[in-house]
Amino acid sequence: MNPSLARFAAKLRNLFTRNHVDAELSREISAHLGFLEEEFLRRGDSPAEARRKARIACGTFETVRQSHRDARSFLWLAQAGQDIRHAFRAMRWSPGFTAAAIVTLALGIGANTAVFSVVDAVLLQPLPYPAPDRIVEFFLSSQGGSTAGTSIPDFRFWLDHAHAVEDISAFDFDQSEIGLTSGVPEEVHGVHVNSGYFRLFGAPFRLGRSLTSSDDNPAGARVVVLSYGLWKRRFAADEHIIGKAVSIDKESYTVVGVTGERFHPQPDAQLWIPFRFDLNSTDQFHSFEVAGRLKPGVTLAQANAQLASIASATQHDRPDPDFRFELRRLRDAMVGDIRPALWLLQGAVTFVLLIACANLANLLLIRMTVRRREFAIRAAIGAGRGRILRQLTAESLLLCACGSALGVALSLLAVPALMALNPGSIPRISETGIGLGLDLRVMGFTLATSLAIGLVFGLLPALSVRRTRIANALLESGSRQGAGVWNRRSRSLVVISEIALSLILLIGASLLIRTLVALNSVNPGFSSRNVVLMTMPLEGRQFTSGASVAAMVRDARDRLAAIPGVEDIAATFSAPYASRMGLSFDSVFNGSTISDDAEWMAVSPQYFRTLQIPVLRGRSFDAQDDSGAPAVVLINQAMAKRYWPGRDPLGQQIEIGKGLGPNFSDRPRRIIGIVADTHDDGLSQPPASTMIIPDAQEPDGMVQLETKFGPLWWIVRTRTATGPLLPAIEAALREAGSGRPVGSVRTMDEVLSRSIARQRFNMVLLSTFAVIALLLAAAGVYGVMAYSVAQRAQEIGVRMALGADRARVQRMILREGLVKGVLGVACGLSAAFFLVRLVAGWLFGVSTRDLFVFLAAPIFLLAVTILAAWIPARRASRLNPVDALRFE
Amino acid sequence: MSSKEKKPLQLLQGTLDLIVLRNLATMGPQHAYQIAGRLQQVSGQLLELNQGTLYPALVRLEQHGWIKGAWGKTENNREARFYTITAAGRKALEKETSNWRRMSDLVERLLVEGTRA
Repeated sequence: MNPSLARFAAKLRNLFTRNHVDAELSREISAHLGFLEEEFLRRGDSPAEARRKARIACGTFETVRQSHRDARSFLWLAQAGQDIRHAFRAMRWSPGFTAAAIVTLALGIGANTAVFSVVDAVLLQPLPYPAPDRIVEFFLSSQGGSTAGTSIPDFRFWLDHAHAVEDISAFDFDQSEIGLTSGVPEEVHGVHVNSGYFRLFGAPFRLGRSLTSSDDNPAGARVVVLSYGLWKRRFAADEHIIGKAVSIDKESYTVVGVTGERFHPQPDAQLWIPFRFDLNSTDQFHSFEVAGRLKPGVTLAQANAQLASIASATQHDRPDPDFRFELRRLRDAMVGDIRPALWLLQGAVTFVLLIACANLANLLLIRMTVRRREFAIRAAIGAGRGRILRQLTAESLLLCACGSALGVALSLLAVPALMALNPGSIPRISETGIGLGLDLRVMGFTLATSLAIGLVFGLLPALSVRRTRIANALLESGSRQGAGVWNRRSRSLVVISEIALSLILLIGASLLIRTLVALNSVNPGFSSRNVVLMTMPLEGRQFTSGASVAAMVRDARDRLAAIPGVEDIAATFSAPYASRMGLSFDSVFNGSTISDDAEWMAVSPQYFRTLQIPVLRGRSFDAQDDSGAPAVVLINQAMAKRYWPGRDPLGQQIEIGKGLGPNFSDRPRRIIGIVADTHDDGLSQPPASTMIIPDAQEPDGMVQLETKFGPLWWIVRTRTATGPLLPAIEAALREAGSGRPVGSVRTMDEVLSRSIARQRFNMVLLSTFAVIALLLAAAGVYGVMAYSVAQRAQEIGVRMALGADRARVQRMILREGLVKGVLGVACGLSAAFFLVRLVAGWLFGVSTRDLFVFLAAPIFLLAVTILAAWIPARRASRLNPVDALRFE
Repeated sequence: MSSKEKKPLQLLQGTLDLIVLRNLATMGPQHAYQIAGRLQQVSGQLLELNQGTLYPALVRLEQHGWIKGAWGKTENNREARFYTITAAGRKALEKETSNWRRMSDLVERLLVEGTRA
């Protein structure tokens, strides 16, 4: 055996046979003593003298034994064990300190772990598909921005010409509500796809087959693919379901496949239905998204270049010269604008961690000065500096280990709460929080964080040990050496930075709170009280014309009239906060042509009455505006002001959707009224120009598109609380819809509240961080001031004995705290002044330099600082001079 | 493992191993006290040997497998651990001796050169 290996093996053996080895050693040493004794006896010493001399000559028994041990064993391992035992003991000695340190760390680490687990799930984890980085999504970009919304002609163009991309597949933007009408009607989430979809995402199949290109044929049979979950729940995991028929939106579909359990589709879906596009369509409706896989060896840049060159070569272009096609990685496309937001929150929560660390550093520094004598004694009895350093590191690592364990536990509680704030609006995290969890990366992050803190803060106090001269420390009486300049200054610095960091968080949180207040005070333009929304999927052959939809809505209205308490009911495919179409319009006014895009919706005549949207001029729709009547349109005030400024648009003609394809062809319409503006795209968005037509006059092509891409929204207003009336309303609507399911029941207040969920999420998170930071900073100030008072008890006693009154002593201590507060606030303010730019995009109704916030937050923080300093100050002023002087 | 480095006899450490091996090779099995006595005798008291260095050296040598220790009795019927050099120990001794010679030769030459210059 290699000698060093042999030695290693021997040490390893010794690790487990320490006692045996020690006994052996004792035996050998006593033998040695015997020899010595014999020799001294020989020289003529008395037996007692010989024994004494032998012992002296042999050296201290323990030293010999120790040096043997060192040679025989892994010294560091034995010492590490000792260090840890010692650290445990040290923790037990000062439970107050230990608890404070652990809680501080747990808050910092817990908050960080919680936010990082979201960052991890959304930004870092690869998509759960084969070769996820090669999946790209098609975008249409122009100066106004970019959209993943695609039309059939664009899709066709990519299929024919995007040679760098394979498995090009179209799928719905979002889940559509699809009515499962076999058995008990139920609304399920479905997604329209074309046949390449399952290949692109590498979907495993539990039963049956994937879709094939023949399923894309508009004239082919209707087929459906079920998800594992739906198959299990709704079809009792029927192994023979392939080939059976199910009724979907009152049509019969044949089940061809069931996906595997582990398929996590994007968007989430319970079943898939082929689009069955007519690829020759010239329809300019941008209603689905398209993704594909980069061919092997092709980079994203190459694929983009290829796409650009083919687009310009084939003149597949738009009037807009800036218009271009663009490929983006699917993950980037999915994550979108939440990426900077999440990183910003991660940054903010790092501030919390920094403050926690600052507090910990302070605690350790204070403790270090208290323990200086202990370490001096250790040094005096032979502990090397390395050994003391190791012991300190062991202590802080142990603290960090406890702190992180508690922190991880906290984060496990915090993450579900975090998700509850923002249901479903974070990409890649389902409403139930699936996709989140403590994976290896998160654990690694937490471990690395706490290890770094433990090492840094273990060594920091050790720096002060280095300066300790043993003799000095021992000579100085017990408690007062802590007031060394270096320590005092570093403690102040730590407190000042804590205050600065918390001020930054406080200002950020205040701005977001003001934003939320501003959002809540925005009048949406309609009344949400006692209004409930429900969806009903209408896809299928029954509803292909505006007249048929209008007739069904009329029927529903008659049925609901029989329910006491129901005030009014309306229906539209474009409810507030649901997606809405934008269409072009042309109008000739005083010889000049107005031509632009505006939002468009078709509503049942009672829409404005149900939502209590005032009609400002002209008239609303009524039952006479049916398919045979002259074509009419209402516009909102924003549109009137923008296109007919200072003029009267009433009676003007507009033509909607000209040149967009046969689906959109519409008669010219006469403007019959102007309705008040509503914030339908979100409270923070200004009202968009909107054209509204009566449902009975909706062009058939549009009805077919709308039923395909979204459900019909029922809007019901009741005289009393909606809750108790819901079962009757739903039953009546189901009957009117000849057995179609009613789903997504939500009150309008809920919808409004959800529309600002993202802002609330940011606000709550940042406020929580700010509150934690504030508490930690206050604790920091308090700790340092209280310590300072305790240290200076004697000095204060002398001052008071010499005639300083209580108020003066109190002022002195308060001033000390205030100076720290002012310095911290000054640093924090100047940093915040630049950092607020980062949250500019989150703000609404408040400027980044909001005077109120920039005044109130520092004042508040100063008040907290003074309060934290006041308690020790009061204690100082209550000191009895005699006691204080006798203190030592 | 700082304590080893701090020992003032560090330079001697390797040398001590060599001396102990040599001693065992020529004198046969010996116990620690004998080794210490013999060292002191040979060096003419020049080498003040600390027991604290000898025992670790013995342990180290045994861990290397160069010597082997066994309990036995002395002529005076005292209990003692007798160390014997092993075959590996002899080989190591040979190698270390030639190393030492080369080294001391080199040092000597360098010192001589130093006086000349």
